[in-house]
Amino acid sequence: MQNLNKYSEEELVQLLQNKDKPAFVYLYDNYAPALNNIIYRMVEDVSLAEDILQEAFVKIWNNFASYDKSKGRLFTWMLNLTRNLTIDMMRSKGYKKQSKISGDEISVHNLQDHSISITKFDSLGIRKQLAHLKPDQRIIIDMAYFNGYTQDEIAKEIGIPLGTVKTRMRTAILELRKMLQHT
Amino acid sequence: MEANDIILSGILELYATGSASAQEVVLVQKYAAQYPEVAEELAKIEIDMERYANAYAVQPDASVKVKIFARINNEADKVIPFVVGNIKKPAKVIGIPAYWKYAAVAAIFLFLSSLAFNVVQYNNNDVATQKLQQTQKELAVLKDDNKVMESDMSVVQNKYSVPVSLHGLDAAPNAEAKIFYLKNTGEVYIDPSNLPDAPSGKQYQLWGIVDGKPVSGGMILTSKRGDKYRIQKMKTFGHAEAFAVTLESEVGNTSPKGPMFVMGKL
Repeated sequence: MQNLNKYSEEELVQLLQNKDKPAFVYLYDNYAPALNNIIYRMVEDVSLAEDILQEAFVKIWNNFASYDKSKGRLFTWMLNLTRNLTIDMMRSKGYKKQSKISGDEISVHNLQDHSISITKFDSLGIRKQLAHLKPDQRIIIDMAYFNGYTQDEIAKEIGIPLGTVKTRMRTAILELRKMLQHT
Repeated sequence: MEANDIILSGILELYATGSASAQEVVLVQKYAAQYPEVAEELAKIEIDMERYANAYAVQPDASVKVKIFARINNEADKVIPFVVGNIKKPAKVIGIPAYWKYAAVAAIFLFLSSLAFNVVQYNNNDVATQKLQQTQKELAVLKDDNKVMESDMSVVQNKYSVPVSLHGLDAAPNAEAKIFYLKNTGEVYIDPSNLPDAPSGKQYQLWGIVDGKPVSGGMILTSKRGDKYRIQKMKTFGHAEAFAVTLESEVGNTSPKGPMFVMGKL
């Protein structure tokens, strides 16, 4: 099932609009691990995260026609779809964000994190670079991107005015960009 | 709002990280359509975030992929849209026991391994066939060469074979040729390999001196390199006292007219 072709984003989108399965295999291979982690960060449960990932990809396949490339990149669309699905799922289950994580799940997560991380590029090298990100910058990015907090929630959680969230987010991502360029 | 103000405001970052409000989402999409600089900056931020997400990617269990493809391959699944509220325990929807998941994964793995193995074998086989054909061609060429060599050697080694050296004359002092005269049959062979290449339009002709007169022994092939080194069978003279080679016109002459290259007595 591994798809060895490489597509440009444009080709990929076109193929997926035509329900091309090899392109979908490629999409899965390239984006499922990143989305899996984002779901996991929100639900903090490995098997639940994988169930949601499964739903998300079926939805991506079935609703691909609704992707509009003028509104942003493919991954952003997939991420928003996945995040919304995760939030709905958590609501329906009465999930709370600060749910407990069992020791087992942490160890499973860490195990997978290190042993079968994606080989597309040197994620370890990038992570090393990203370790230099200031904690307050990392927190604001992670809260929004990995944990699905709204800006109101971020403002409350960190204790900063709502208007400051935007500017701080921008500074943090500019810093992030600098670090990504070094890898 | 100017494009630059929009970029500096940080609203694009909120959009890309998914923390923008519904109102802001609409605004960002409007700005991106309106200002190319905004769209460009937004794409950059999106790529930053993609790389960030990839840096922390966690490979899901292989069974997830299997389940997804099982579902999208099933047409019925397309008709019934997924409703979040209806699925309380998504893990149980499929209801496949864990060992079946492992069995499926193992089966797929085995299938793919065997597929890969077959592809490799097929390619190897193809290469091997090509190599074999190449070798067979080379062998055929060598066999032909060998046949020629054998027939040459049979003349040289024949116990009735009398070798006659023809030595270079004024026209070509370094030229040499050898005649093999078979005493029992009277057959005449010539090895012309040390004659210079005949100029175009000309060819060497062998003469046997019989009763003091030159009798044509036929034309000697030297133009084609392959033939030049072959010992060639010439006409039979009966009994010749001597042999000579002259350079004549391609069709040959009834009596020697061109310069004499080599000569030797029996």
